[in-house]
Amino acid sequence: MSTTTSTTRATPTPSLASSTKFKTFAITFAIVGPVIYMVCLFFNWPLFTFHPATNRIALGWEAARSGEGPNMTWYGWTATTLLAGSVVSFLATLLPETVTRKIPLILVWLIPFLAIPYLAWDLRQWWFHP
Amino acid sequence: MDIISVNTFWTIWLLVHLLLAVALLGALTHQAVAAVMPVRQVAGPGGFVTRFRAVPAAGYATAICVLWILTFIVGSYIYTKYRIYIRIPIEQAGYWKTQGFFDFKEHVASIALTLLPAYWFFWKNAHNPQYDTARKMVTVYLAIACWFLFIVGHVLNNVRGFGS
Repeated sequence: MSTTTSTTRATPTPSLASSTKFKTFAITFAIVGPVIYMVCLFFNWPLFTFHPATNRIALGWEAARSGEGPNMTWYGWTATTLLAGSVVSFLATLLPETVTRKIPLILVWLIPFLAIPYLAWDLRQWWFHP
Repeated sequence: MDIISVNTFWTIWLLVHLLLAVALLGALTHQAVAAVMPVRQVAGPGGFVTRFRAVPAAGYATAICVLWILTFIVGSYIYTKYRIYIRIPIEQAGYWKTQGFFDFKEHVASIALTLLPAYWFFWKNAHNPQYDTARKMVTVYLAIACWFLFIVGHVLNNVRGFGS
């Protein structure tokens, strides 16, 4: 018996998947997204702070208040990343194709891999906690 | 009158998160293996590994994006309760590395989220060899990330999760 299996090849889908502007948006978003997230972590720039015990949301970073439980900034970091990443990626779609074609595809996967050691370093307080 | 208790309510959402994660893990693992070790042609029925990687990988892309986003949303929803009822006792017990790995998990989940549009685009253009390397590497990254997120979540649940 002989079986031929297609594992990686697919018929191109019209519309979004063949759109040059979407390609630019997606590739730019994948490159700048992790960078923006790491910048947000480094400078602690959440779009908002959530206080889960009181369900209160404050714009930007806000410290936990006495008697109101902890604060959460991860939602805010993610929101900053998605918003800023979308804006930058949208702006990239306005550039001429001759420019966007030169964006190195290697950055799409290299930056997320490089983010791992940075994240490990950023979390060092937990690894070396006495 | 409440139909279910508060504990049951949050346990159901935790299990929804788990089930979505299992589906995502399975799909991503199949796809990553198929991308790295594609089966071009098999003479004979083939073994387990061959059948495991002989899946129409491109067809998984949209489902994986949807599953990642759904798992992310449900995880974000239950995170509010984790922060108060799980994390605080974990810190009080001095499980610092466990806490560190959870923070690692949240960062990896967010970074992987930003890769989804490119990942989807690469798989929808799988006929284009220009994207072969990027497609493979992004898929492998997402698969490794998914396994990491799953294992950390599982360990945290063992530390203080279901029924605690």
